[in-house]
Amino acid sequence: MLTRDRIGALIMLAFSLGYGAMIFNIPLLPFQANQAFTARTLPQALSILGVLLSLALLLKPLRGTARDDDAAWRANMKRLLTRVPGLGFPLGKVAMLCVVMVFYGLAVRPLGFLLATTLFLVTSMLILGERRHVMALSVSVGVTVFFWVLMTQFLDVYIAPLPTFIGR
Amino acid sequence: MLDGILTGLSTAASPLNILMVAVGCFAGTFIGMLPGLGPISAIALMIPITYGFDPATGLILMAGVYYGAIFGGSTSSILINAPGVAGTVATAFDGYPMAKKGHAGKALAIAAYSSFSGGTIAAVFLLIAAPSLAVVSLAFQSTDYFALMVLGLTAVAAFAGRGNVLKALLMTVFGLMLSTVGTDETQGIQRFTFGTIDLIDGISFLLLAMATFALSEALMSVLKPKTEEEKIREKDANANLGSMKLSREEVREMVPVIGRSSVLGFLVGVLPGAGATIASFLAYGMEQRIAGPEKGREFGKGSVRGLAAPETANNAACSGSFVPLLTLGIPGSGTTAIMLGALISYGIQPGPRLFVENPEVFWSVIISMYLGNVILLVLNLPLIPYIARVLALPHTVLVPMILFFSLIGVYFVSFNTFDIQLMVIFAAGALVLRLLDMPMAPMLLGFILGGMMEENLRRALIINNDSWAFLWTRPLTFAILVTAALVLFVPMLSPFVKRSLARRREAAGEGG
Repeated sequence: MLTRDRIGALIMLAFSLGYGAMIFNIPLLPFQANQAFTARTLPQALSILGVLLSLALLLKPLRGTARDDDAAWRANMKRLLTRVPGLGFPLGKVAMLCVVMVFYGLAVRPLGFLLATTLFLVTSMLILGERRHVMALSVSVGVTVFFWVLMTQFLDVYIAPLPTFIGR
Repeated sequence: MLDGILTGLSTAASPLNILMVAVGCFAGTFIGMLPGLGPISAIALMIPITYGFDPATGLILMAGVYYGAIFGGSTSSILINAPGVAGTVATAFDGYPMAKKGHAGKALAIAAYSSFSGGTIAAVFLLIAAPSLAVVSLAFQSTDYFALMVLGLTAVAAFAGRGNVLKALLMTVFGLMLSTVGTDETQGIQRFTFGTIDLIDGISFLLLAMATFALSEALMSVLKPKTEEEKIREKDANANLGSMKLSREEVREMVPVIGRSSVLGFLVGVLPGAGATIASFLAYGMEQRIAGPEKGREFGKGSVRGLAAPETANNAACSGSFVPLLTLGIPGSGTTAIMLGALISYGIQPGPRLFVENPEVFWSVIISMYLGNVILLVLNLPLIPYIARVLALPHTVLVPMILFFSLIGVYFVSFNTFDIQLMVIFAAGALVLRLLDMPMAPMLLGFILGGMMEENLRRALIINNDSWAFLWTRPLTFAILVTAALVLFVPMLSPFVKRSLARRREAAGEGG
């Protein structure tokens, strides 16, 4: 059965194997070939350890309370993947927040700090289900401006405030 | 030693540093109170601010945040039975029942006095233990350091509790793997960079800590919607705290408990791998046994002893965990690991040389612990009713703020937008691993120790002419490695110890 631990073990096994495969891309200088310790030594040891440990976790028998833990975990996962009326999928919200963060990273330079940050805060509040739009907007603008003033005026960190097309 | 204390006093007592202790305690209390955000996140969020300071000030601020976070965690344990920090889970056992009886103010006061006493008493031990250990550790060579790091990493995994040792070990190896990304320090060879410039310097520890702790903890809190019952509890919590005064009888009951628990807490804190969480559970269990059958029955129903013991022990363990960090440069927990990362980025190499080369850092941190505890008592206790309002802030506002501060904290250090994308990737990965109940603290510890471990191993091999024999021919190295093996395998072999430890750890989750 695919339990919680086994899924984790499979993920780590895949990671360790991928990591192990990429060790061959590490260049070695000719004279290092016979040394006891090269840039490849530790990664090799780690990938072997990673494979062994994840195999051990994968093959560990499930007994006693671990079985109950796993059942509780399964129920919880089911809840996270079930649609809540009016609120959407719990995991969906997290996914959307991640997307918004990616966009924030892309937008913070071209749109400038003030606009990008305000947009980021307002959108993520709306995603989380905030209904008071005026409150969300005013809190976002307040925090953004306060933070910008604090950084530029008091801590001497320059942050371009305005979008690039307006000039800075 | 007196010289050192004076040096520390003159550094720590400067107006800026006193201010920083206060700011740290306050901010720590605030963040620690938010359920889900622990001391690791609290410290990570403060690091970008400390980059402009000198190392002593930065470390003082972080130590203040650490104490504050533990204290804040106990506040939410007591008021709403939702520990903000794993180290304060045991506090809720007796703190919440006491608050429910209408003595919330008294419970908070007991927690504050116990934390204060535990922290202060342990700071005295630290004052004595750290310099003497530092002198001994000057004799350590790179082979011993390598062995010590192996011990530190295995101990963290070994204390992870039943069924979790394998997972913790796996996550440690994962952290070590992540630490190999970037340019190999001694040979200048690029590893796992995928040919991008952005990864040539490796993954910054701040980025990893923020993404896997602050960001992913905030995202996790979205997945745990508050129940109606919890919402009501939060409203009630702010209504009436009751008197904060303690009766003489209660004080008399507390004093011996505090004495015992602070010694226990400090000793547990010094051990690598065991932190505030284990200390608080051990102290709770010990006091329950000492109290005898009659008094012991009150435990869990609002006993003064049951509240004082874990509160004293978790703060004492915080002080204790600074011993290996300051003297050996080896962190014993996720929280001290992140402080170590910060110290390295200030350009300070913690370890026995710290005591010799930067005595002002070494001593001022110790002295600032007294200051921190005093500030927690005189500043935070009266302010608790106001700080507790943070519990009523809607998480629709709070979560975006935490996301923003984490992202911008990393971005303002590098000004590289690639870092924001990388953070999202790590946060999403950490979220998946958290959902699978994989522990994250060992990963962070492995990541931070990885570079140092490789460096020491390589140096040891060069000194020993490429021979691995030093692992068993040098007595000290061998002894430490054997200890590491024992720490890992003895609990596996004795099911009895394993069972009792696991039961205590069950409710605790990840160590502080």
